[in-house]
Amino acid sequence: MSDYNQQMIEKYRGNFLKEVEANVEEGDWVKMCMQCGVCSGSCPLGPHWEHPPQEIFMMIRANKREDILSSSSMWMCTSCYNCIARCPRGLPITHIMHGLATYAKRLGLAPKEQPTAKFAQLFWDNLTKTGRVNELKLGLSLYFMNGFGEGIKTALKMKDVGLGMLKTKRMTPMEMLGGHKCKDVKGLQAMLKKAEELEEARIGKRG
Amino acid sequence: MSEVIATNQTILVVGGGISGMTAALEAAECGKQVLLVEKNPTVGGRVSQLYKYFPKLCHPKCGLEINLRRMKANRNLRLMTLTEVTAVEGEAGNYSVTLKTSPRYVNDNCTACGACADAVEAEFDDEHNYGLMKRKGAWLPFNQAYPFRYVLDPRIIGTPDADKAKAACKYDAIDLDMQEEETTITVGAIVWATGWRPYDAGKIQPYGYDRFDNVITSVELERMMDPHGPTGGKILRPSDGKEAKDVAFIQCAGSRDKNHLKHCSRICCMASLKQATYLPEQYGEDYKGTIYYIDIRAIDRLDDFYQNIQKDPNIKFVKSKVASITEDKETGNPVLHGVDTEGYHRYSNPHDLVVLAIGMEPSVPADGFPMEVVINEEGFVELDEKNGAFFAAGCSSDALDVNRAVQSGTASALRAIQVVNRVAGAEG
Amino acid sequence: MADMKIGAYICKGCGLGERLDCDELATIAKRDGKAQVVQQHDFLCSEDGVSMIRNDIDNEGVNRVVIAACSRRAKTDAFNFDGEVCVARANLREGVIWIRPDEDEFQETTQEMAADYVRMGCAEVKYQTPPHPAEERGCHEAILVVGGGVSGMTAALEAAKAGYPVHIVEKEAQLGGAVGQMWKDIPMHSPYTDPVEPVTRRLIEEVEANERITVHLSSRLTKTSGAPGRFSADISAESGSTTTENFGAIVMASGATPYDASKLPELGYGKSPDVVDRVEMEKLAIEADGGPIKRPSDGKEVKKVTFIQCAGQRSEKEGHLPYCSGDCCLTSIKQAMYFKDRNPDIETEVLFTDLRTPGAPGEDFYRSGQDKEVTFRKGVVSEVVAGSNGPVVKFKDLILDEDVEEEADLVVLATGMVPNSGVDIELAAGPNVEGEEEEAQTDSEGNAIEIPVESVLNLTYRQGKDLPHLKYGFNDSHFICFPYETRRTGIYASGPVRRPMDTPQAIEDATGAALKAIQALENAKLGRAAHPRSGDLSYPSFRKEGCTQCKRCTVECPFGAIDEDEERYPKFNEARCRRCGTCMGACPVRVISFENYSVDTVGQQIKNCDIPDEFDEKPRFLVLACENDAYPALDMAAMQGNSYSQWARVIPVRCLGSVNTIWITDALNSGYDGVVLMGCKKGDDYQCHFVKGSEMAHYRMSKIDDTLEQLNLEKERVETYEVAITDIERAPKLINDMAETIDKIGMSPFKF
Repeated sequence: MSDYNQQMIEKYRGNFLKEVEANVEEGDWVKMCMQCGVCSGSCPLGPHWEHPPQEIFMMIRANKREDILSSSSMWMCTSCYNCIARCPRGLPITHIMHGLATYAKRLGLAPKEQPTAKFAQLFWDNLTKTGRVNELKLGLSLYFMNGFGEGIKTALKMKDVGLGMLKTKRMTPMEMLGGHKCKDVKGLQAMLKKAEELEEARIGKRG
Repeated sequence: MSEVIATNQTILVVGGGISGMTAALEAAECGKQVLLVEKNPTVGGRVSQLYKYFPKLCHPKCGLEINLRRMKANRNLRLMTLTEVTAVEGEAGNYSVTLKTSPRYVNDNCTACGACADAVEAEFDDEHNYGLMKRKGAWLPFNQAYPFRYVLDPRIIGTPDADKAKAACKYDAIDLDMQEEETTITVGAIVWATGWRPYDAGKIQPYGYDRFDNVITSVELERMMDPHGPTGGKILRPSDGKEAKDVAFIQCAGSRDKNHLKHCSRICCMASLKQATYLPEQYGEDYKGTIYYIDIRAIDRLDDFYQNIQKDPNIKFVKSKVASITEDKETGNPVLHGVDTEGYHRYSNPHDLVVLAIGMEPSVPADGFPMEVVINEEGFVELDEKNGAFFAAGCSSDALDVNRAVQSGTASALRAIQVVNRVAGAEG
Repeated sequence: MADMKIGAYICKGCGLGERLDCDELATIAKRDGKAQVVQQHDFLCSEDGVSMIRNDIDNEGVNRVVIAACSRRAKTDAFNFDGEVCVARANLREGVIWIRPDEDEFQETTQEMAADYVRMGCAEVKYQTPPHPAEERGCHEAILVVGGGVSGMTAALEAAKAGYPVHIVEKEAQLGGAVGQMWKDIPMHSPYTDPVEPVTRRLIEEVEANERITVHLSSRLTKTSGAPGRFSADISAESGSTTTENFGAIVMASGATPYDASKLPELGYGKSPDVVDRVEMEKLAIEADGGPIKRPSDGKEVKKVTFIQCAGQRSEKEGHLPYCSGDCCLTSIKQAMYFKDRNPDIETEVLFTDLRTPGAPGEDFYRSGQDKEVTFRKGVVSEVVAGSNGPVVKFKDLILDEDVEEEADLVVLATGMVPNSGVDIELAAGPNVEGEEEEAQTDSEGNAIEIPVESVLNLTYRQGKDLPHLKYGFNDSHFICFPYETRRTGIYASGPVRRPMDTPQAIEDATGAALKAIQALENAKLGRAAHPRSGDLSYPSFRKEGCTQCKRCTVECPFGAIDEDEERYPKFNEARCRRCGTCMGACPVRVISFENYSVDTVGQQIKNCDIPDEFDEKPRFLVLACENDAYPALDMAAMQGNSYSQWARVIPVRCLGSVNTIWITDALNSGYDGVVLMGCKKGDDYQCHFVKGSEMAHYRMSKIDDTLEQLNLEKERVETYEVAITDIERAPKLINDMAETIDKIGMSPFKF
């Protein structure tokens, strides 16, 4: 991974805008930002961003590669699309944020303890195992994401909700035992593997 | 209106705002025959609705008075109001133009004595004041209106009000049987000066113009400043009639925005800077102004106006496109939310009043031209040979300030003269 | 003079018949006004009423018409009589019944007001004669264009297309001007995305092919004299030969000179060869001609270029330009595209504080620049220094709020433009109005901008060699609604000499200026005035025997219309005159008059007003109101239902500058209790359409105190105000203030 990072650094030699354009989903749009700040002001999670989108766009143009890629900012995006709806230049900001996050992760620069990133990984692992999301397991792994003690605490806090769900048959404990799956799990996994290969090849060609 | 005299040596000017009046007058004062048509009951256009001009802070009515005097004195210039162009056929030097004239229901006998307005009861939104106040169903559009004659609103025709108006007129000036008329004329060249209209502020959803009383537009503020306007010349909050002493100006309201108008409307920066001077004019030293902007486009020698406002400690500039407005229910204050992009500062600023520096859009939509015309993506008419002798003047050609609009009106007058001179030369 | 026959026509419409005793007014017109024909009509502006008047003109020999009805601003179409007729309007509607309450107790004084206006109207026409165009009328049709850049060539071609012959005088050896030095220009037609061929190439071809256009290269104007319709210009070539040509009008398109970047050492200019100004950037692009652009120091291909906006502009620092040159943002975007269009990998950065790309074309071009990956950073540059590999730009990034140092291969300073507006005649004249020589302007200190001091026009006008400057050396018009109002009739500034502008605007501007030139010469042919009294045939003349050669008229004329002849008498150049009457107001011996506007036409109105004796307790005071602003304001006040004092008698004047102090002293001597003067705003942001009229009036009135003292009168009896057309509430109030003042200090002792 860090090899890959090094490779990219050398390839773009201080032109981070070019790097973003080539490697980040919808990265082409970054250059069109005119620094009005409407995206930054429109984000419901705004105050939690260390660098709001408009600033990130400026930082990209100012070659602040490390600052951006290791930032937690773009992981804050919840895809509410307020920014896209309001951007006067039509930048697909939500997609760019996710694109940047993905790219940072691929480079191995994404912050390690970032909860959004962690959750995304849990979700992916959970989903790809059976082809179906196992909500019980996903919920539990989420509870225990930050260690056993905290997991127990969270579980106790949520017990009424859990019991309620059991009662109304919205949740079954049987799911703990493997859970339901899609028809052809092997096939699915093969498809995902192929997709991964294609994506690697694409990045290799482009990157 | 029975004998419209126009020939292929006549210049038709469409639109009686500052650009059209200028084009018509400049051509007529060169000795050319000019027909000026205006769809409203009076000439004057948007500038007649302004309180002051930047950068001199002089009054548009002053220049209008001069232009009206020029019009009254010039025999080469004919004016048709309440008239629109519905079709144009032919080619440079020989256009056949169809005009549609709506009835005024008031003839030349009118002395502007005002008896009809006194008699009529029905009231309607006053267009001159952007609907901020009412006017009678028989009215004089504004006190410098030209022709200096009253108009009957078509909505009172057939009601007892119409008969009351007729009965009140001692001069047989009210003619309730007037009908819409269609006229076809021949002209040599057309100057198209149909101007602009304020962008519909209600469409800018996050700013809540349609929901919050204390969010108004820049053109409405101009009307408020008129001593005979809706607030008697005071800046009053629509919600509670209190004086607004802390005013926010939001730039690019509708402009430079692909969701609304793609272009920069050019005038709004200077307009807000100008309106910032209305605050000390009203309140002495007890005021606050905040201008939220992307770029301050006080171009060329107008920059000193900007520099002077920057020196005013009561006026603040924030480089930010405001993200949204909410309303503080208790105070009625609009609260502006966004990020000051110079160094990343979040704000939620309450103000007494918010003025949206509203953008300009061409009055005539892309599909509204009476003939095929080359326009750009933004809907402004290009200077293009394919347009023949159809020349745009003023804001139908781009978002322009008054000075440039007049310049453009003057230039298009010459372009039209070239055509009719050619026709005259060919015909000996 | 043909026999004078006055017809007075009294309207009874619009309530006049009910509010006023019109029979009495008719008697007054006959008895006091000496009107030979007096008629009343229920509805004077009707077809019937107007034809009654016309019949009297055609068949009864009436040639002086007094319309006692509404304001002179109303019903102008109806009361518009051709031929040898003078018309006066006694304003009984807006001026009397609409501004006085309709109550019995006021009936008497309201009637007195109306009666006075009828007397005044009769007196006015008695002293008028129908104006005739001046005999001295030039009819040269050729237009002189000074400058062969985009503006000059456009003005020439557009005028030629309308059928007029044109001469272009260009000081350089070739046409093209500033745009001719560019590799490419900004786009002028949609799509506004890419730089285009400079329009100069096409213009030069067209100019050279046009039979109506004569070009004088390497030439200057060494002498320009005359007036619209009959200008005479000496065109001197560098070779030494001089030709003299006659012209009807002049377009001054002398353009601008690039700001001298050597004044910007802090931005590295002169310290590093790789810091260039915008003009040098064009040269580099021309040299490259589509190939790699190389930097001056070592010929290395530029891989990173930084543009610094507002270099030496928008700044109060000494030696900088205080204004924005208007086109530099678009120019830098265009120049950045020179790099990007050839090689998108070249880094181009624009450092700006406000990016000014207005309108639809401007914003489209900015967007296109971004699309081509030109980087825009909001920042303030503090310094450019030499680095090891190229110039280093130090700036504060305002968005990221941090200080940055960046090396570039090339730095381009977006420098501004300084207008080539010739001699600043006001500086040159200085306080010494009699100034013998005008060479002193170079050592004028405290003037931040250095303006090229070589005269462009070399006018022989008494008032100076060039057009007056407005601000920062530009020859712009002061008026927002009238951008072509230069203060020398028939000479129109155009292009960047008028105000900073880009090529598309210069083309528009030049086309407009060409129209104004055509209009000026067409008007001159007919002896008609130019704007703002367009079409006015009257012009000032003077009685030589009375003239004391005091020169006040020549000095005070705001338009430089008056020269001196060999005997040092004033020499009026009618075609330059704008008919404001400032000369008439200035003349201490009152020898200057217009046919239809004179010391008498107003003076007799003042005299013919009935002044009740002091026991009547009915004061009278005079209001002289500018016809363009104050008078309409009073009209509109009447429409709004305002009222003002019944003791006021209002006379509209062409401009407050035309007010001769004799009117004031005569009024006070004959028993008026006060005088109110209402003119337009003066000073830097003057609104007076005759430039200096209001200011002159204020100045003259500041001297009236001596007169008042001699007469033993309180100085509050004369007040001079600046009144705007929107002062609909204030103007009546000012009149009422005078009524109150008189009430307080008592009536004039000069009643008989």
